Amino acid sequence: MTVITRPTEPSDKGALEPFTVPYLGRTVRIVGPVANIDPSTNPHQMNVRGELGKAVFNWRHNTISSDPLGRVGFDDHCADRSHVLTNVVRRAPKVAVNPNRTPVADPAAMSAHIKRVARHFGLDVVGIGASHPAYLFAGKAINPDTGEALDAVDGPEILARRLPFMVVGSVAWNYDMTKAHRHHVGDAAYDFTQQRTALILNILESYIRELGYHTLRGAVQGQAASVAAGIGELGRNGLVITEKYGARIHSGDAIMTDLPLVADQPLDIGVDDFCKVCKKCAITCPTNSISFDDKVVHNGIEKYKINWETCYKLRPLMVKWAAKCLTCVTVCPYTKPSTWWHDVAIFSLKRTPIPARSLVARGLKWLDDAIWGTAPNKRVRWLGYDTGVKPGEKACTIPGCTANHGESSTATVPNVGYYPPLKENTNRFVQRG
Amino acid sequence: MPFTLPWTKKQDDDPYWDAFTNRPPADPNALALFEMLRSAPDGNVYPVQSEVHSPDIMAQHLKGLASFFGADVVGILRLAGNTAPAGREPDAPTEYPFGILVGVRAEHDPSTAAGMGGQTPVLKGAGVTFNLGAYIRECGYHATRTQAGGLDRLAAACGLGTLNGAGRLVTAAFGDGIHLADVVLTDLPLAPDGEEAAPWPPTS
Repeated sequence: MTVITRPTEPSDKGALEPFTVPYLGRTVRIVGPVANIDPSTNPHQMNVRGELGKAVFNWRHNTISSDPLGRVGFDDHCADRSHVLTNVVRRAPKVAVNPNRTPVADPAAMSAHIKRVARHFGLDVVGIGASHPAYLFAGKAINPDTGEALDAVDGPEILARRLPFMVVGSVAWNYDMTKAHRHHVGDAAYDFTQQRTALILNILESYIRELGYHTLRGAVQGQAASVAAGIGELGRNGLVITEKYGARIHSGDAIMTDLPLVADQPLDIGVDDFCKVCKKCAITCPTNSISFDDKVVHNGIEKYKINWETCYKLRPLMVKWAAKCLTCVTVCPYTKPSTWWHDVAIFSLKRTPIPARSLVARGLKWLDDAIWGTAPNKRVRWLGYDTGVKPGEKACTIPGCTANHGESSTATVPNVGYYPPLKENTNRFVQRG
Repeated sequence: MPFTLPWTKKQDDDPYWDAFTNRPPADPNALALFEMLRSAPDGNVYPVQSEVHSPDIMAQHLKGLASFFGADVVGILRLAGNTAPAGREPDAPTEYPFGILVGVRAEHDPSTAAGMGGQTPVLKGAGVTFNLGAYIRECGYHATRTQAGGLDRLAAACGLGTLNGAGRLVTAAFGDGIHLADVVLTDLPLAPDGEEAAPWPPTS
């Protein structure tokens, strides 16, 4: 099946093979025509325009974090934008494409080099995918040679041919901090890795232009690029799940380029089989935004689809404690720390023949429930923070700090973290049968 | 033929690595972000000053935070002398009693390796000090970053390592493969690592 069959340019008519349906692994399948998504319809952009309601709008625009670290991590809740590193990165000038192009005799060697460079800069996961129009946003295509806007319909196809590769990567979050989801600590794990990911991708893009090749960012849907580049598979929670870090990564803004590279292939680490059995993310989601049902076909793509609107609208309800939920990231069994038993579990799953994987997945799920709990709410202590104490009910008055300061502390529950809001408090989102 | 370990061979085969490390970028903008991070103006001090723990605990927290931001070694100094940076804002304090020294691992010496790969430690160090300064200001205290020479001696004074014959810092974990980032000057009460106050500005 052909997704898009238009020739790239009039002079190319009939000269180029049409794009064929890309293979994206077992978790995602393109089964019909894919309409390129207008990036202005993503939740953040809709919220900027106030289309998601006053509560979420105010959460984003009129809320300052009570935690000093929260005011530095992300500009949504900062007091001073010049304290947020990402704002400096955004102002960085674009590097000119070096006219003395570095010749690439062996694309495989260049691929290995780019991955090494990305890791040298600090990325934990990096992959290279083959560009395809179905992954691209609509209406935002820019000709990398001239900087001119391309036609909204033809743009994705022209770009995918001119910039045939996508370099995508992320800094992974610290697992111990991620456990403190719906808390300042979890927010910090998310925000500061996102900062570093943005910084490194910016530098990596500059380096590719220094090599004499064109680049473009902001044109590719991050999750599609990550799955195509073999970084991970798409889980029930709508997140890219990697082999080493689970869902603890950002689907960063991929770099499209014409640098000669060799594309990686999509992974099979058993996410498709495990998600059918596990459903932990669906069980623990505070807003019931994650479906218990099978995959659905949405915009020509067969995948698990979350209800992003209810997911997004949780934020103002927990703004007192945290800025982000991240429950589905934390509870995902793949997200566990990269230890030998974690690696053995994934190895056993991916080496099992597909028909028998359901059985292995059930066994691993049972182990995960028995050892880690069905709805883990672990107590986390990090620097001065302690999730075991309800914010506001403690002796210390340092913003964000709930550390045990001796006799005056009210920490009474030893190994359970306090992560509001609880699921039963948010039943308003879904009518239960 | 020299003996090579199998896991090092692959990296030695990278034909582009030397240029990545040592060749200066054709467009100076390739390193503009590095300088933008280092020279970004200080933001506002948060109007509500946080209560802080004892200087001991606050120093531990700041070191932990610096590690989280990407620092490999961190030291805190009590400073003596004229610590007010030149061209300071009118409402900035006239003296900063403490300096935070941040070091990041450097596979290549940024002073000699002019490529983007060689300058990576500068970027990492700038990111750490940017966030540290911002965090302290968000706690309601003053903090500013300043570029200074002769930091190796100060780093040795606060126990980050020792000086070699060339006067360079040598750490236990990374040898002399360490890059010292700009110093964060602050009036946040902290427990210094060295016993004696270090003279400021430092002498080479």
